[in-house]
Order: sequence, then structure tokens, then C-alpha cells
Amino acid sequence: MKNWKVSVLGLVATALLGMNVAVAETLRVGMECTYAPFNYKTSEGELAGYDVDVAKGVSEIIGVDFEYVCQEWDGMIPALLANKFDLIIASMSITEKRMEQIDFSSPYRVSIGRLVGPVGKNWNLFDADDHPIAGNFKGLRVGVERASTYFEWFKANLPDVELALYDGNEPMYLDLKNGRVDMIMTNPMKAHLSFLSGDGKGKYEFVSPAINEPKYFGPGVGVGLRKGNDELRDKISAALRQLNREGKLEEYALKIFPFPIHDDAWAQE
Amino acid sequence: MSVGIIMDAILRMLHGIGITFGLLGLSLAIGSIIAVLLLLMRISGRWWLSWPAQLYFYIFRGTPILVQIFIIYYGLPQFDWIRDSMFWSVLRDPFGCAIVALSLNVGAYVSEIFRGGVLSVDKGLLEAGAALGISTPQRFIYITAPLAIRISLPAYGNEIISLLKSTALASTITLADMTGIARTIVAETFAPYQIFISLALIYVTFTWIIQRTIRWTEGYLGRFTIR
Repeated sequence: MKNWKVSVLGLVATALLGMNVAVAETLRVGMECTYAPFNYKTSEGELAGYDVDVAKGVSEIIGVDFEYVCQEWDGMIPALLANKFDLIIASMSITEKRMEQIDFSSPYRVSIGRLVGPVGKNWNLFDADDHPIAGNFKGLRVGVERASTYFEWFKANLPDVELALYDGNEPMYLDLKNGRVDMIMTNPMKAHLSFLSGDGKGKYEFVSPAINEPKYFGPGVGVGLRKGNDELRDKISAALRQLNREGKLEEYALKIFPFPIHDDAWAQE
Repeated sequence: MSVGIIMDAILRMLHGIGITFGLLGLSLAIGSIIAVLLLLMRISGRWWLSWPAQLYFYIFRGTPILVQIFIIYYGLPQFDWIRDSMFWSVLRDPFGCAIVALSLNVGAYVSEIFRGGVLSVDKGLLEAGAALGISTPQRFIYITAPLAIRISLPAYGNEIISLLKSTALASTITLADMTGIARTIVAETFAPYQIFISLALIYVTFTWIIQRTIRWTEGYLGRFTIR
């Protein structure tokens, strides 16, 4: 009798364990794959960047393999909701509007915006307190990515500025170089690396201070996932805090920048 | 998503009506002029006029219009001499680029439609004209053209409708036409299904209006042929 019970228990346990393994085998991760230096393909076709490093770090800690899916930015959240992938690790800032649709882990990168334009224009766009002067934007055309937090910031703070909306980062830089837009608002880390220290060196510069408004840009960049996956979300958040504590986030950032791009305070909670 | 938000979205999309119909009207007008020039080149009977027209036709009908838009918008500014030329004031503006691309494209198609109309005019009418001593240019203007226009109208109407839908491609080069605005709303609300269905309904309505107008014009121009 006892033996019979034990073997049933054993069977149930094996089945449960088996299920666990099956469920936790791989997770699909959506990213743009063109957003250097955060997620992009190297000339060898390998995915690289800060987002990719963070994803690999999380994958190691939670013991799940990740499979990467490339997705255009403006379809990122619809694709997640349509179950094309399970996680967004694509430098997506945490905002209230997005939180209505999806869940976010704790942040793993700071979120700020900055304007890039030609050198020596002296447009005088911001006052001493770093507030924009609406009148001085008159007649200037600004490029931003559609659906980005920078777009939201302009809509709220400078609704009369003429905006050109782009579906990707590369066409926006092309149009800045071609003179179709006078300046672009973008991520300063990315702008510094991919443009200001390379192609646009000496010809383009930051024409605004770093704009840090959590109201628009959110508390930072997090991992996005469908609602109702609280257990997975908490696991990923814990993994990110561990990466922060162990100095991995700093290590990933210093591979690319001369400065860290996370907040030590995120390690608590 | 509530009905109210869809109504708001439709009202916002209708703000793009000016750009959508600006693209449609301007490129149709310029394209039709290009079409007439190409037609005259093709029926001129001179190989050095007819061959370039045929080459033009093959190039613009043989490539996707989206590729043409990208070549004109992203490709041309790579050349410094283009950016220094007088064309830059048109090509700098995304609206100008879209007009250039759509006009060149629609010109090729409409030219073929006109040619079909011209070729289907009864030879006997032209011979009668010649017998009366009417000159060749006059025969073309007073006998061929009115009949050819009436014959071409149904196919021309189709081309207008297909051009209306091609204008949506302009949203890929930052223009805020109805489709561009819809894509922005989708990006804000993450509700692609409701927004794009509403957008589709707007296009269907406009297509229906254009179709009715063309049919009325056909009836009007053909009022003497009704037995």
C-alpha cells in the first residue's frame, strides 16, 4: 500500500517538474535590433548592446533561455499583446500610458532626452532654469520618433512646434544631415556614440541641456511584459536588482560609455 | 476602447484630409500633364521620341511606388549637387517629394490609359476629317481628343482611386496625412484594430464619393450617345 502511494506521488512530482521545465524552457524577447548601442546587430550579425547584455544577465540569473525577435518600434507593444514575443527589452521607458497596456519590471537604465542640432546656431532655446522658451522654437522643424516619450514631451510642453515623425532612428539622422529638420530630440547616450563622436563630429552638437522629467520620460527604462505575469515580473525585477548590486549594470555601461547609466537606488526595494 | 475614443480618432484623422487630397489633386494634375506629353511622344511616329517614352513607362511601371518614394526622399539628397540645385526647395520638403514621386508614377499609368483611348477612336472619323481638309493637329484636338477622353474615363477613374490609396505611402516619409495621423494615434493608444478599421472606413467613403462622381461625369459626357 505504501509503495503504491509513493509511486503515485513520484509520478505526480515528475509530471509537475516536467511541466515546470516545459514552461520555463525559452522566452521570446522583442527588441528593435537597430538601436545602437543598446540593441543592434554587429557586422557579424550578432546581437549586441546594453539591452542585450542586460537580457543575457537576467536570462542567466532566472535560468531561462531567451530567443530574440526583431520588431519595429511603433509596433512593439501591439506585437507583445499579440503574443509575438513575451518580453520587451528594447530601451522602453516606463510611462503611465504604457502601464495601462503592459506591465514593467523595475528600471535598469535612466531615461533622459536631449536636442541635437548643427553647431553655432545660438537659437537660445532654453532659459537659465533649463525651461524651454516656446517663442525661440518658432519656424524650426524638430524630428522625433513616432510614439516616443520625446514626442509626448513636445506635445505637452511645446505644442506649437512643427514636428516631423519618424518610424526609426536612422531616417531621422539622415534628415538632420540633409537639412530637412533643424534638430532632433533623442537619447543623448545614443546620439553621443553613434553620431556626435563619429559622423557628425564638429558639425553637430547638443543644443539643449539634458532634460530629465520623470513625468514624461518615466522613472527609467524597464523590461515590458503582458499583464498577469506577476511571478515572472517579480523574478525579472529581482534579477535586475541583483545585476545592479553586483555591479554588472555598471560594467555593461562602461563597455560603451565613460559613465554609468543606472541609479544605485534601484538596487534597494 | 469606447466609441467616444474612436470618434475622437476619426476627427483627428480627418485633419489629414487636406494633405491626403492635396497629394491626390496635385499629383493627378501634374501626372496628367506628364501623361499627355508621354502620349504625344509615343504616337509621334518618331523613334527618338517614342523610345524614351517607352523606357520611362517601363521604369515607373516596373518598380514599386514605395521604392520610388524612398529613392526620391532618401536617395537623391545623398548627392551634394542636388542639395545645391534649385530643385532642393521642392525635394527638401517631404510633401514635395511625395508629389514628385506620385506624379511621375501616375503619369506613366495615365499615359497608357490615354493611349488606349486614342487608339480606339475610329479611323474613319479621322479620314473624314482629312477629306474635309482639317490639319493633323486640329484632327487630334477636335476629333480624337474628345472621344478618347470619354473612352478613357472609366480607367482614369480607377487610376484616381488607386492614387488615393497610394497617398497613404506618404506617411512613411513623415507626412501627417490621414494614414500618418492614424499611425500616430495607434502609437499613442496601442489600439491598432479599432483605429485602422476606422481609417479604412474613411478611405472607403472617399473612394465611394470619387466613384460616384466619375460615373456621373461618364453619363454626362456620354449623354449624346444614349439611344
